[in-house]
Order: sequence, then C-alpha cells, then structure tokens
Amino acid sequence: MSDVSLKAVRKSYGVLEVVHGVDLDIKAGEFVVFVGPSGCGKSTLLRMIAGLEPISGGEIAIGGRVVNDVPSPQRGIAMVFQSYALYPHMSVFDNMAFGLKLAKTPKAEVEARVREAARILQIEPYLDRMPKALSGGQRQRVAIGRAIVRNPKVFLFDEPLSNLDAALRAQTRVEIAKLHAALDATMIYVTHDQVEAMTLADRIVVLNAGRIEQVGSPLELYRNPVNTFVAGFIASQRMNFLEVKASANGLELPGGRVLALNHAGIAAVKTLGVRPEHLLLADAGNADLSGVLAVVEQFGEYALAYAELPGGETVTLKLDGAPALEVGQDVHMKLPGEGLHLFDADGRALR
Amino acid sequence: MESNAPSRLTAIALTFMAVIWISPFSWLILNAFNPLSTGQLEIPRAVGLDNFAQAVSGNAGRQFINSMMIAAGTATLSVIVGISAAYPLSRLKIPGRNAFLWTLVLLRMLPAAGVLVPLYFTAQRMGLLNQLGVIIALTVLNLPFTLLLLKNFFDTVPIELEEAAYVEGASLFQIVTKIVLPMSRAGIAVVWFFSFTGAWNEFLLPLIFARVQDAFPMSVGLYAAFGQQGAINYGFLTAFSIIYAAPAVGVYFLLRRNMNTGFAGVGVKG
Repeated sequence: MSDVSLKAVRKSYGVLEVVHGVDLDIKAGEFVVFVGPSGCGKSTLLRMIAGLEPISGGEIAIGGRVVNDVPSPQRGIAMVFQSYALYPHMSVFDNMAFGLKLAKTPKAEVEARVREAARILQIEPYLDRMPKALSGGQRQRVAIGRAIVRNPKVFLFDEPLSNLDAALRAQTRVEIAKLHAALDATMIYVTHDQVEAMTLADRIVVLNAGRIEQVGSPLELYRNPVNTFVAGFIASQRMNFLEVKASANGLELPGGRVLALNHAGIAAVKTLGVRPEHLLLADAGNADLSGVLAVVEQFGEYALAYAELPGGETVTLKLDGAPALEVGQDVHMKLPGEGLHLFDADGRALR
Repeated sequence: MESNAPSRLTAIALTFMAVIWISPFSWLILNAFNPLSTGQLEIPRAVGLDNFAQAVSGNAGRQFINSMMIAAGTATLSVIVGISAAYPLSRLKIPGRNAFLWTLVLLRMLPAAGVLVPLYFTAQRMGLLNQLGVIIALTVLNLPFTLLLLKNFFDTVPIELEEAAYVEGASLFQIVTKIVLPMSRAGIAVVWFFSFTGAWNEFLLPLIFARVQDAFPMSVGLYAAFGQQGAINYGFLTAFSIIYAAPAVGVYFLLRRNMNTGFAGVGVKG
C-alpha cells in the first residue's frame, strides 16, 4: 500500500504538450478514477505512473520515493490493459505466473500465489486453458489475476472494461469494487465512462485537454461541479445549459420569463445549468420554460423527454415512471428551487 | 446416354494428361528401385535399394552432407541475423525504414549472377572460398526478404504484450525470447524453410566457391554425375535425384502443417 503523488507532471511529444502540469495526491488504499473524453491525456498520465512513458517534466512519487528514473518493474505497480494483453502462447497459469517466474520466485510460492489469486477471481477451473479458449470476461479476470499475484503497491487499470459487453461490464464493475475492498490496495483506474467513474471511485479526477478540471468524490462532482465541462461530463444525462441574461431582480430565461434569484454574483451569470432529473413538469401558468416535445425515450422506470424551446435550444427532462407524453405537444417546465448551477462567461461555477 | 459422352471425353483427356504428368515420375521411381536399370521405362525385373545405397555413400554421401550443412546453416544464420535486425526495425521508429527495406528487396531483385563477381572476390580476399563462405553469401542474399517477412510478423505482435511483460519485470532479451519469438514462430518457421529450400537448390554459388569435388553439394554433384563413369548410370542418377528432392517435399509438408496451426496462434489477441 502506498500513496502516489504527482507534482507538475508534464508530457510533450516534440513541441506538442499533451499533459500540462498535473498535481495530484493519491492516498494509500484509495480508488481513484481518471475520467475524461478521448485524447484528454488520462491514459498518458497512467502510463507515466506505470513507467511506460517517460515524463517530460515534474515529479512522480510512489510510496514517498521519487520514481522518475525508476524502471517500471521496480515501481511496485501492476497494470491491467484494455486489451488484457494476455500472452496467447501460454496457459492461464503461466500467464499469471510469468512475472513471478521472472523474479525467480520459488516454485511452491508461485503455485500458492497463483492458486490464491485464481480462487479470489473464481478462475481456478481455467488454469490449464489457453487464453483463446476463454470468454472476454474470463480473460479480463486472468489479466486482473496476473496483477494480483505480484502483490503490487498500486494497481493501474487502463480502461479494463471497454472490450466487454454491457451486462458483463456491469458485473465486472461490481467485482472490481469488491476486489478493492478485499485487497485494500491503491487503485488508479482510467475510463471514459462516467458511470464507471461514479460507481467505483473514492475520488474522481476529471481531465480535459491535458489538465485536471476537478478532483473530488463522485457526489461532490455531481453536486458542485466547478465548471461547465465537469457539469456536462459527470452524471449519465448531460446537464442542460441555458443562456441567460442577468438583470437586477433575477435571470431572464430563454422565452422571456424571469427567474427571481438572490445571488451575490448574479451580474456575472451567463449560463444556467440544471440537471434533467431536477427539472419539473408544470402548468402553462407557473412554468419557467415552455417548448415543444421533440422526442420521448421511454425506459419503463423513467423517461427522457427532449423539449425544443422557441429559441432552438433543446432541454432534456428526466421523468419518473412512464409519463403519457406525445411528440409535438407543448411542455411546460419549472426550475427547481435547489440544484441550479450558475456559470459565468468563462464557464466557471458561481457559488 | 448423351450426358455420359462429355464425361467420357473428359476422362480420356484427363487420363492422357495424367500419363504425361506421371510418366517422368514413374520412370524416375522405376529406375531408382531397379538395380539393373537401363534408362528405359519398364517394369523392373528385380527391386532393390542398391542405387540408393550408392547415392548416399562415397562422394554422393558427402555431397548430401554438404548440402545439408549449407542449407541448414544458411537457414539458421538467416533467421538469427534476420531476427536481430527485424525486431528493431519493427519496434523503433526509424525514419524511412520501409523505404530502406524495399530498397534492399529491389536490390535483391537483380539476378544473383550480377553480384557474383564482387562476391567471389570478397570471399577470396577473406579466405572464405569454402562452405562457410557459401553460407554467408547466401545469407546476405537472403536477408532482404527475410527482414521484410520477419518485420511484418513482428508487427503483428501487439505492443501491449511487450509492455505487460516489461511491467512484470522482463528484460528486453526476455521479452524477445519469451513473448515475441514464440508468438512469431510460424513466421520464423516459414523464413527458415524458405531459406533452407533456397540454399538447398542453390547451384551457381557453391559451384564457383567450392571448386573441389569434396565440397560440392548435391546440386553441383548431380550436374557432375552426368559426365562421369563413361556411360550414364541411370539407376544412380534417379536415386540421387529422389534423395535430392526429398528435403524439399518434406519441407513442404512441414510448412503446410505449420501454416495451418501456427498462424491461428499469431492472430489471437490476448
């Protein structure tokens, strides 16, 4: 177990800088998820911690030891790759024992550790099989098992679930969460899937264009996003953003109605954010926003309604149950008293 | 009845073709197993392996061993040198590496006879006018194709596998010997077998490099055997030809098996 700390870590390829000075402290035993859109530098950051990419500037320390120039095998890390990276010419047992054998571990201990990891991951029956005889989920377990047997200080996961189908992904997600509880090891997990980030993380690190946008627990990010990027990225339905005009007694909404609001920084407000699950249906009389229903998606337990405002903006509502709505009808919406997010012209949240 | 006519015609045509195809082979085999062979296509009155015994003893036996040494030596050296050069070519981003490889191949397209004279004088200066010289010269000539083939095989080994092994503590040498080579074994086998048959069939280089009878491989020996002993010894020649052809046939079957099993293994992504 170990804490990982990054100080002003940079990465450039030639003149192109892809990670611009990342500072981060990860506590021992913590499960940290790096999340962000493709090309935001999250995988590069993980590979720099793993020692697979040299860093162009800054400092990486694992367990208090600066590892900038320490080769990967001596960093006390184990990595699980997106494609599993199992050795196709070796049996499951040999795949898991590979690192231990390289380290000249006594045979009996190799056997014991591989069996123990296989027991934890329930892959004991497959130890003699070749990887090509396994399903995707089983291969993923072998890849995780290969990491476990080495008993690393830090586990690094590089989008480990993205090659699995949806059902298996949900199941494996739960297993990784259990594994973290059981091993009590530091885990750093990279994903572009915000559901994985929300469900697995102790803390989420939201990355965008090589910079950290926000670090916090899943609920902190959900409740208090620091800017429009984080607000739009976290949660399964994207937050609605409305252009508003600030006036003395409130905010002028699209459609002309004014939302009375008391806020110290109201003059700076440019964008109003509201999550689809917080918007309420209302009557024409007391509505803040009105539009025409463009699309309804019924999921049974909830429905997503996409309403088009007169100005052309689309607003998403998440409604419980299966509401009787018809495409083309007028929808009137009320903004909630709480759960409104105010952003200035640069997209920064105003508290 | 009419529908039978074309098939009967076809049968006759096929039989005719078969006779044309088979007769040289049957002549070869019948004469090889006939100790009293006269060079005629006839059913032997006696069957025996005398001709084969003759073809693997004495000069002919030495030639077989020479051929084996040249072919196996060339194949092995080509593979070893090829691997050492192709792996970095596959993994390092060397500017213009593909242009470089194709230029080598283009140069190799020139007939070997075109480079024979400089090769000969180089070998003479270095005291390599012997079997080792033949092996080195053939390896040099093989290398462009060997490099290109092996590089393409190494390219199919996902880099993540090497990264995984590196994180687990494998040195570069261990990564190559425990991950890359086992995964490319089909490709390596193909290269080895092709080099082997190529060197086995090589005639001109060994003829010029090794001008004493003792150093001749079978390809040169076969040529020399025609004029020897006054009259042509058909039984000896046919047995000699069969032995000469055997490795190529064997290699074909080995190769086919490896193509079927090996490539499937390469395609699997962990």
